[in-house]
Amino acid sequence: MDSVKERSVDEVVSTILGKYNQRHHLMRILQEVQSNYGYLPREALEKISQSTGIPLSDIINVATFYHQYRLEIPGYYIFLVCMGTACHLKGNQDNYNVLRNTLGIKKGNTSSDGLVSVEKARCFGCCSLAPVMMVVSRDGCERYLHGNVDIKETKKLALTYRSMASKKVRSGE
Amino acid sequence: MVKLYINNKEVQVEAASTLLDAIVRAGFKVPTLCYLKDMFNEATCRVCIVELSGGRLVPSCSYPASEGLRVLTDSERVLKYRRAIVEMILASHKIKCQSCSMKGGYCQLLKLSKEFGVEGIPVCAECPLYGSECLLNLGIACLGPVTIAGCDAICTKERSPCIGCRGPASPDDVLEEGIKTFIKYKINIDEVVGISELFWGSNPLTQTIRKLFTNLHEGGRV
Amino acid sequence: MAEWTLMDRCCDKCWHTVEYPCKHFIRCTVEGPLCHESAECRVKRKRRIEELKYGKYGIKIKVPISSCTLAAGAKEVYDAVSKEVLSSGLNADITISGCMGLCYLDPWIELSKKGLPTAIYVNVKPGDVPKILKEYLSGDLSNAFALRADPEGIYKNYKVPLLNDLTLWSNQVRFVSRGCGVLNPESIEDYIISNGFRGLDKILNMHPKNVIEFVKKSGLRGRGGAGFPTWMKWEIAQSQVSDIKYFIVNADEGDPGAFMNRLLAESDPYRVIEGMIIGAYAVGASKGYIFVRAEKPLMADRLSKAVEEIRKYGLLGRNILGSGFSFDIEVILSAGAFVCGEETALISAIEGRTRPRQRPPYPATRGLWDKPTVINNVETVAHVATVFQVGVEEFTKYGTEKSKGTKMFCVTGCVSRTGAYEVPIGMSLSKLVYDLAGGPPDGKKVKAVQIGGPSGGCVPSNLLNTPVDYESLQSAGAIMGSGGVVVIDEDSCMVDVAKFFTSFTLAESCGKCFTCRVGMKLLYDILKNITEGKGSEEDLELLNELSDVIIGSSLCALGGTAPNPIKSTLRYFRDEYVAHIKDRKCPAKVCPNLVEYWIDPAKCVGCGLCVKACPTNFITGERGKPHSIDPSKCIRCSQCFITCPQGAVIKR
Repeated sequence: MDSVKERSVDEVVSTILGKYNQRHHLMRILQEVQSNYGYLPREALEKISQSTGIPLSDIINVATFYHQYRLEIPGYYIFLVCMGTACHLKGNQDNYNVLRNTLGIKKGNTSSDGLVSVEKARCFGCCSLAPVMMVVSRDGCERYLHGNVDIKETKKLALTYRSMASKKVRSGE
Repeated sequence: MVKLYINNKEVQVEAASTLLDAIVRAGFKVPTLCYLKDMFNEATCRVCIVELSGGRLVPSCSYPASEGLRVLTDSERVLKYRRAIVEMILASHKIKCQSCSMKGGYCQLLKLSKEFGVEGIPVCAECPLYGSECLLNLGIACLGPVTIAGCDAICTKERSPCIGCRGPASPDDVLEEGIKTFIKYKINIDEVVGISELFWGSNPLTQTIRKLFTNLHEGGRV
Repeated sequence: MAEWTLMDRCCDKCWHTVEYPCKHFIRCTVEGPLCHESAECRVKRKRRIEELKYGKYGIKIKVPISSCTLAAGAKEVYDAVSKEVLSSGLNADITISGCMGLCYLDPWIELSKKGLPTAIYVNVKPGDVPKILKEYLSGDLSNAFALRADPEGIYKNYKVPLLNDLTLWSNQVRFVSRGCGVLNPESIEDYIISNGFRGLDKILNMHPKNVIEFVKKSGLRGRGGAGFPTWMKWEIAQSQVSDIKYFIVNADEGDPGAFMNRLLAESDPYRVIEGMIIGAYAVGASKGYIFVRAEKPLMADRLSKAVEEIRKYGLLGRNILGSGFSFDIEVILSAGAFVCGEETALISAIEGRTRPRQRPPYPATRGLWDKPTVINNVETVAHVATVFQVGVEEFTKYGTEKSKGTKMFCVTGCVSRTGAYEVPIGMSLSKLVYDLAGGPPDGKKVKAVQIGGPSGGCVPSNLLNTPVDYESLQSAGAIMGSGGVVVIDEDSCMVDVAKFFTSFTLAESCGKCFTCRVGMKLLYDILKNITEGKGSEEDLELLNELSDVIIGSSLCALGGTAPNPIKSTLRYFRDEYVAHIKDRKCPAKVCPNLVEYWIDPAKCVGCGLCVKACPTNFITGERGKPHSIDPSKCIRCSQCFITCPQGAVIKR
């Protein structure tokens, strides 16, 4: 993450555009931008539009249509709570509420300290371990899957990841 | 050239034509909304659906005409579904006919909803079709903005104010839009409610109008 | 120097290179050398195959690494195994494998040693690893779950069943999933010694028309949902005249409850790609795309790795094995939208746009960048590869008159043995749910079985003898879909289930055509009213009529199938809807507005936790004495129900 912060949006975007610059690479370009920042900064979208000639409205159309893209900066860790059928039947909605309550998220998806986000996600295909949640770090380097989580486990996970995130942020990562 | 049958009438069109071309060629009519001739056919509005002989419903504006196809443009099923689609479009349409720029008979949606007898739009949508000057503009308390259309604006056409004989327009946002119109033209709301009681009687909607009016007025959203 | 592998030249007499390939390359790797006789080379290959099968030192430990096993902690188990092997100085090969589909057993490990039957240990915890290893190596298999292979028939000495003797295994036909959980998904050699690439080897000498004819003979139908005959799609694309054609594999598995594509591609990616090359050869495509969902990163990784590996050995790229046929594959990460499962939306996504378009023209005539394009599902192409490897007869042996072969089903929800099972098409649902998946745990009753994801329907328990094939399921109001089977027990409310699916499709509707965008919202609002106790009886008629309109006149298959869950629940569970509307009661006690929370005084210990949890502060009671909820003030947030450590809060 450090290296990213030092590099300007311009630099990051031009490196990516050096690899892909066609209209049909748009999805890939946005994915790469997001893997750098954890979300799609407005400046980056504008820069892509200027460099490739794809209208900004088209870029935003794609960025808002697909679920993977975020337009707002998420927390250091992101809880992705699966909302598939099996997970729904086994009570992941309750887990989702518990996560939000435990982390004190009232509005939006991110806790007020900016450490942890909670999002609803599409089926991961781990239905046999329902209910499932995935925790990913903003930079995409860390990825943990948790299966068969109940409410107690959820609470524990929420607190664990919050303290992990605060440690990481404090140590300057 | 391909040969196909529209409502059992034989018609020949060029190979790259759509069903809609063939239908027009055969002398039938199918309503369209999103269709723009010679432009891309997105087929999003679905009102131009027709029935193929297998029972499949397809949008005629983009379905290619092919040899021997049998097409029905107004079977019972087509009409039923088309009506439902128009209802859906109206359900998601912000009805602001009073301030809409499509006045004067250009509104295809209005025509369609009249054709299918779908209710929900106010008299104000029909009134401009006959070129009459808006009575509200003259400060006359006309119930046009809040009354269901379908009367062909028979009163306002004759320069007499609407008295709400067909009942209040149903969706709340239509009512709200209507009341905004009253406020805009500085019509006395007591007068409006007074007239409406003639046909709507003790209908709680008359109270709603008063409430909405006070809210809108005080909320300063005029 | 890197280790010599089967893919390398045996000696200088072999002239095969990627630029000037030998057309017997594939067979030569295993049966070789074919072009010259050399005992040394033959032994070299034989020894390598032995090594791959049993490990260099005769002991092999397999740890499955796939999304589902990782979620159950397979990474920790793998680390524990490595640590144990290192610290005990054991000479053993540790390899990864894919998932065998029995997810309820995750994580499992498989141990094999020459002279001992291969044993599978299940639900392994990292701490158990040293004990398991010690036991197995000393010949004590009593704690194993099952034995996989036992060539010498000595398993009878142990009280452990053979995998093939278990009902959950013997009722399956592992046709397309034969490599899942067996092969190392990151080793091309593993695939090639288990009959891999033999299909490709075969077809490169055939005329494309004969390839299609072969598929026609097998009667293979698309495994992605609608069951369109695969050969027909190929033939249409093959007959088109175009400078370039595309072959796309749809691995954007979005159906909640279905994961067979993920499982296949993660556990046996080479099979998928082989099938894809065969398909491309048949239709004359020169460029292929695999469209993988970004939420399934391991699947994308494995596929990309496999593509690279295959390209490295010249089985992909220009002039494959000297046949004159060129084909290359690019793996594309989908950013995730359910509608991309629809062919035309998938094409839009690859082009960098959004939303489906009206068909016809069908993609087989005008698809990606207006060129003929074939789109097949992962399972379909994996089937193609297997059919060419083992022959048509092996495939047509199974299945029904109209649909041949086998199909993978993912059985999840309220069953004790969740997992992916491959069964002959036409097996009855009850067999799938009870004999294979073990039925609901703790003796509950099955209320319904939901098949086909959000486009499918619910089959009630009294119709469980319905055979699973395309036609029978359709007449029961469901669809085969991609094969997700979610078992619903008595604890679930069918109106809530319908609402869940409607909210799913509502959120996933792309918003292009009116009927789906507005219609689904209207349906959702009606269902929401019903579950909140505000429904009226006319609503049921309206639901039905509106559903018909949406099905009949939507632009793409998403809208055309989205109301299916509502229609099927209305058809079979009308009484539940009526209970919500007339009695204002939710029989399964799921819908929050129709249940009452009540504290059982006999169970309540008065700990006061619920008082703290209650956001409205309407739970009262003295500490240490039974508490009570004021029902008129309760907002039914269920916090007290969740919090209570005694289970004293009861829904009624």
